Amino acid sequence: MSRTDHASAVAAVKAMENSLLTHSDTEQLIAAKTDSEFRSVLSAKNADGQDLEAVWEMLRSYAPDNREMQILLYRNDFHDLKAVLKALISNRDPSVYFIKPSNVELEQLSTAFREKSAEGLPQHLKKTAEEAYELLTRTMDGQLSDTLIDTAALSQMQEDAARFGGQFIQRYAQLTAACADIKTAYRCCLMKKPGQFLQAAICGSRGLPKEDIIDAVLGGQESFFSYLETTDYAELASLLKKSAAAFEKRCDDLLIELADEARLQTFGIEPLEAYYIAKEAEIKNIRIIKVCRECGSDKEIITERMRKLYV
Amino acid sequence: MNNLGIVLAVAGAVLAALLAGIGSAKGVGLVGEAAAGVVSVDPSKFSKVLILELLPGTQGLYGLLTAILLLSRVGIIGGTAAELTAAQGWMFFAASLPMAIVGLISGIVQGRTAAAGVGITAKKPDHNGKGIIMAAMVETYAILALLISILLIYNIAI
Repeated sequence: MSRTDHASAVAAVKAMENSLLTHSDTEQLIAAKTDSEFRSVLSAKNADGQDLEAVWEMLRSYAPDNREMQILLYRNDFHDLKAVLKALISNRDPSVYFIKPSNVELEQLSTAFREKSAEGLPQHLKKTAEEAYELLTRTMDGQLSDTLIDTAALSQMQEDAARFGGQFIQRYAQLTAACADIKTAYRCCLMKKPGQFLQAAICGSRGLPKEDIIDAVLGGQESFFSYLETTDYAELASLLKKSAAAFEKRCDDLLIELADEARLQTFGIEPLEAYYIAKEAEIKNIRIIKVCRECGSDKEIITERMRKLYV
Repeated sequence: MNNLGIVLAVAGAVLAALLAGIGSAKGVGLVGEAAAGVVSVDPSKFSKVLILELLPGTQGLYGLLTAILLLSRVGIIGGTAAELTAAQGWMFFAASLPMAIVGLISGIVQGRTAAAGVGITAKKPDHNGKGIIMAAMVETYAILALLISILLIYNIAI
């Protein structure tokens, strides 16, 4: 008999999906003439002032010990590691740069760097924290330490997803790594970065091996795009040629498409993970609309930038 | 060994009530979990999800019915237990198996289907009926098993 776990959580999440923003809500937000009109559309959907941390806490209350779900926050964890390390080294307040939700507390990170011991950190951060601290204090090269942490985040995501995650989270980790690698590789291409830097900056993933990307980048822009066209990410390559914004949008949309498959499940942790990804995209959409409205952007431009919706 | 026949008949009755009851308990429990999740977000959907939760409960009733009919047929209910041969005992035992086994499996499977139906109710309450129909399809096989068990129980010559 196959799995029946998280039946209650999945049903609750399905009920909550009704309050996610729909296409018509998004159109109303874009068309809102005044700020109060904008806010009233959000209030009608209880989406006014929502934050991802509350969503995460709610999901975590349904599956408190689920390690697989924690992988969704690895990017935040490693960002926080990077931010706290640099803030402490430069005598700044780390709380300004700390983002939530995260699997690690600000105090845990601060203590670890102050006491020069990664013992109190979650397992997935320990090794990288030690390496990044050593590298930054030795070289004082912020870019080098950022590169190390960013690459470690992607490979740790993939490693842990393969170790204790299901198919959905594995595909999520691979897609996230592939999108990040393509972006980094393209920048390296433009800046003609050497192979040594690429070795540190590129993570690699299934379908987009590290050595292949590096070889392609070292051959120049044309060789890089030609290589991408032979992979599953040919569509991303053509978008990247057009604009970075279109590329970013498609990467986010691919994640939503992935989540869309997971939400059809009746049991398991996947619908919860999918809901978190959807909520993340929704908050991003609201932020894009807000910023575009403040900048006085055209409705067409805002619509073009909207991420795919989950409902 | 004179009592083997009646012992086997009683064992059959126990099995029908026991396994079908376990199937129902598991099924109802699973739908209950899913239903509680929906009600925790939207209490107004309680009555709709309750129908779905009740569906896998029928196997337990069919198991109970099979057990009562079998016990009645062999005279345990009523006071005078019939003197059954071992062959007759085995036949009564076999007669209870369709309801026992199908009751167990269909109870659990119907629970899964009904839990999926709870998902439909959560997202699209107006389509609640579709979830009920899908779960009710599983019921067919429990009814068929009940039918064959009853036919056997009443047609075994004592």
